Amino acid sequence: MAIFLQLLFTGLGIGAIYALVALGFVLLIRAASVVNFAQGQFAMVGAYMLVVCLNVLGLPYLLSMAISVVLMAVFGVIFAGATYWPLRHRGGLPVIISTIGASIFLENIVLFLYGPSPEVLPGLFDSPGIQVGQVFMDSQYLSILVAATLLVVLQYFIFEKTLLGKKLQATSQDKEMASLLGIPVAAMILFTFSYSAMLGGIAGMLVAPVLFVSVGMGGLIALKAFAANIIGGYGSIPGAILGGLALGVAETMGAAYISVPYKDAFAFAMLLMFLAVRPQGLFGEKISEKA
Amino acid sequence: MSLLEIENLTARYSSGAGDVLKGIDVSVEEGEIVALLGANGAGKSTTLRAISGLVPHVGGSIKLGGVPLFGQGVEAIVRLGVAHVPEGRRVFPGLTVAENIMLGASNRTGLGRAEMMREVDEKFELFPDLVRLRDALGWTLSGGQLQMVAVARGLMAKPRVLLLDEPSLGLAPLIVQQVFKIVAEIRRRGTTVLLVEQNANVALSVADRGYVLETGRVLVSGKPEDLWKDPQVRAAYLGGHAIA
Repeated sequence: MAIFLQLLFTGLGIGAIYALVALGFVLLIRAASVVNFAQGQFAMVGAYMLVVCLNVLGLPYLLSMAISVVLMAVFGVIFAGATYWPLRHRGGLPVIISTIGASIFLENIVLFLYGPSPEVLPGLFDSPGIQVGQVFMDSQYLSILVAATLLVVLQYFIFEKTLLGKKLQATSQDKEMASLLGIPVAAMILFTFSYSAMLGGIAGMLVAPVLFVSVGMGGLIALKAFAANIIGGYGSIPGAILGGLALGVAETMGAAYISVPYKDAFAFAMLLMFLAVRPQGLFGEKISEKA
Repeated sequence: MSLLEIENLTARYSSGAGDVLKGIDVSVEEGEIVALLGANGAGKSTTLRAISGLVPHVGGSIKLGGVPLFGQGVEAIVRLGVAHVPEGRRVFPGLTVAENIMLGASNRTGLGRAEMMREVDEKFELFPDLVRLRDALGWTLSGGQLQMVAVARGLMAKPRVLLLDEPSLGLAPLIVQQVFKIVAEIRRRGTTVLLVEQNANVALSVADRGYVLETGRVLVSGKPEDLWKDPQVRAAYLGGHAIA
């Protein structure tokens, strides 16, 4: 039982990272009808920003994170300006291709600047963690879970309790109608890109001390987060969170009880199972093409 | 000077396509209800969409209170005082009735949330049937309820002119009567209305003037009683019989 609980804790920590990146996916799907294939690279860029602030500039950890988060927010707007804005009237596919191109560009620009050697980042806290009953709670995994919970609560507050949130929801549900009410749709979409980049960046910064920071770190995270999105229900916010957590737990348990080398396979096996049995995911609705 | 002045309006949806509107002249005076009538494809809804800045290829001119609307963005046109209640109501399905109505005031900068909610409550006085649905989500509403929410939302903008596109579409006759009673009440309270309708009987029962459109042109215009007198118009576009 102790091992199971330990694995559950670790799985939830990893799952929270997938959930944050999946949330970024969902927000952009809802606001701009864009599947952003560079969402994982947002995590990579965020992690490298933290590397620069912490290891190169020698700034304190929390200040480094704060600066990186702000920079990610700005980066999201620039990203939208480069990949989405010029193609926004040309349908979904050109924008998707554009984000794939951007993901390759981002990886290569970081490779050019930093080289292929992975970077190592220390954890947020000096203490290795705390023992709660039979479970040792690693401080970084604990930070991930606390940060992810706070971000989900913050997001709920913004979307459900503020006028900005209602305008964002209106934009995601019917852009033309939102525009006819005087809602600044372009600003809403740019805000969503910015917020989504911030979420991705924070996920990268949180996971950086657990993994190595490398150019390719975003790709696998994005694939898992996209799978979480499908498992939770395409375009569903609660689905992204639950899907991410479920995926993290499934792959951790699978790795521990069945096979470590096939760790990634468990996540995608789960995806395939959902696609076959419940393609609308946990919270999704069956969608039919409009006539 | 008319409040809304449309001169020689032409419109098409994509370059290379034929004109949907072929030089329309329409004017709307302050405090009037003006009806645009005609068969499907006559260009009625396109005229409203052109006023709101939603049609990309337009010619001629549209002025609101003397201010040209061409070249302004959709959101800027709303801020100038044009509220558009489009065909199909387009109520946000995932937001509540109160939230939908509240968002109608998005064009009014500097309006606090408390003030906004007070105005939402005022709208419920005009639409008492919606009071019990205040917290119901948009997708749960019936056609008539959706229409009322859409009109209430349009009024939240405090528009100089309210564009109403096919408010009777898909509604039961009793609900249509109810909706048009509200349209008359809206005008009584001082809002100018440009109304697009296929149901000429109900539209002309509340309108001060009407324009009959045919394939992108104004066929005839005038007061309701004059339109009813034109046998060709009555036969072809107004259902062939006068208002009861």
